[in-house]
Amino acid sequence: MQPVVRRRGARSLAVPRSLVRSPLAVGSVIVVAAWVALAAAAPAIAPYGPLAQDIADRLAPPGPAHWFGTDPLGRDILSRVLYGARLSIPVGIAAVALAVLLGTVIGSVAGAAGGVVDEAIMRLTDLMLAFPTVILAMIISAALGAGIRNAVIAIMVAWWPTYARFARGLVIGARDREYVEAARAVGASPMRVFLRHVLLNILSPIVILGTLDVGRAILTFASLSFLGLGPPPQIPEWGSEIAAGRDYLDQWWIATFPGLAILTLVVALNVVGDGLRDALDPRLRKA
Amino acid sequence: MNLQTYVGRRMLVLPAMILGITLLTFVLSHAVPSDPIAANLGDQAAADPAIVAAFKHRWGLDRPLPEQYLVYLRNLLHGDMGVSITTHQPVLTDLSQHLPATIELAMAAMLLSLLLGIPLGIFSAVRRDSMVDQIGRGVSLLGVSMPVFWLGLVALFVFYARLGWAPSAGQLSPRLALPPFVTGFVVVDALLAGQTGTATDALAHLALPALVLASSALGIITRMMRGSMLEVLGEDYVRTARAKGLAPRRITFRHAARNALLPVITVIGLSFGSLLSGAVVTETVFAWPGLGSYAFLSATSLDFPAIMGVGIVVATVYIVVNLLVDVAYAMVDPRIRMG
Repeated sequence: MQPVVRRRGARSLAVPRSLVRSPLAVGSVIVVAAWVALAAAAPAIAPYGPLAQDIADRLAPPGPAHWFGTDPLGRDILSRVLYGARLSIPVGIAAVALAVLLGTVIGSVAGAAGGVVDEAIMRLTDLMLAFPTVILAMIISAALGAGIRNAVIAIMVAWWPTYARFARGLVIGARDREYVEAARAVGASPMRVFLRHVLLNILSPIVILGTLDVGRAILTFASLSFLGLGPPPQIPEWGSEIAAGRDYLDQWWIATFPGLAILTLVVALNVVGDGLRDALDPRLRKA
Repeated sequence: MNLQTYVGRRMLVLPAMILGITLLTFVLSHAVPSDPIAANLGDQAAADPAIVAAFKHRWGLDRPLPEQYLVYLRNLLHGDMGVSITTHQPVLTDLSQHLPATIELAMAAMLLSLLLGIPLGIFSAVRRDSMVDQIGRGVSLLGVSMPVFWLGLVALFVFYARLGWAPSAGQLSPRLALPPFVTGFVVVDALLAGQTGTATDALAHLALPALVLASSALGIITRMMRGSMLEVLGEDYVRTARAKGLAPRRITFRHAARNALLPVITVIGLSFGSLLSGAVVTETVFAWPGLGSYAFLSATSLDFPAIMGVGIVVATVYIVVNLLVDVAYAMVDPRIRMG
């Protein structure tokens, strides 16, 4: 009979192994990396400038001169799709980072303070979560006006409550752990206990949760731009490029390629995110 | 706690939540000094101080914010949400004209995502790693990753422009008149009026936008149903049922699926929010005369009374839907009430 041997370190190796085992996950990592590389290299590899117009060749179908065709203003769609990545990827990351930051601060205050402060903050998050993101973003845009910065603010305002609730739960969970009590017992100040012992320990699940949402943030930003609540039309952005194709159904290439750009990037980000979540933090495993 | 007490307690909180929603909407839309004047008056009118002052006075923009809120709240209690700056109609009238179309679209989409998502989730879990499961997982991944507005355009291009299977955008063919207003749902109203032709036409117009809008909720529900089903299939009582020699079909549906449905009920309420968000973009693609199109119009023209009305109505709908879902959950699962 074969003895059952449990190798040491098998658990720590589980992360890369579970990712490597699934071809979908490997493909997704490659797709995400490729998009980041394309975004970085866009000025060098784009065949045309994102604003360069060739009026004589407007609405040209995909062909050797313009692989993805041209838009109603004669701009090269491939170039605009490549430049669009330079906007969507950083905006998605920034929006989530800001929401995570705000949510973590407010949520840990609620969890650490308890009592009335906690109750008030939690009721506020209840209310905020009743507003669908796009509606909330529209209300904010109605106050602030359209623009990249305001779209980011809108996503931040709409999403911080989720992270706040998550952070609050983690703070409450960590508050009474032995190591926190030990730190208190040796005379660490409440501030030090909170920052060094509580906050530092809850940070990794929050950051993972945020990473999972980058794809969703890119999608939301594209929706907002599609609705005209994003950057001005001349700036290459996937959502607003799709909006430009709305009046040209027969010129299918105008909307198709920016849409495929969003789809491939967001699908890949979601697959990578799911894999990371399952591998790194079982607490976040949903289904 | 019995069911009545539970429902009663939840109902008591409702008015406070709605009050909170009005305050929040007000604060969000007024927090930053913006310029509805530039958006709503022409350049020439905006340069004339007298016209600007009259405009501000008419909309109460010249009073301090807390006072503006109280005025707004008092009017709201009288059913007055103000007059839209863009349509010049009372906001309440605008909302009651646009809300039914959105509810009709959202309900159709929710129905589709439940009818497709629940069976797909069940079969994905039962035949784990089979072809069906691959499809189920693909659907849930694509559903949550798909830009809805793009899917809508692709669907219009393929099914309307190329294949000619679907009618063009809009709620009804232009040659048909709207049926007499009863529920505001065109399909239902046409049936009530006995106009089967109109009802069929309305249904045909509803199909494509509803299917497109269903994509994200379908993804969420398939995924939840699959996960929940996998969990239940591993439970002891399912093994017991298998050991007793019950038919696999009976175990899947009577024993496992019924219990696996429970957590999915909560997700139905929560995904209603993403459905309403999706409705805004879907409506603009399909020229659907709902709340989304109205919100889009009012947000782009800084129409405060209108956008506040939309915010309040949408958030209230969301809260009420989730209350109903929680009550349904408490009815089927008594453990919730005990907590």
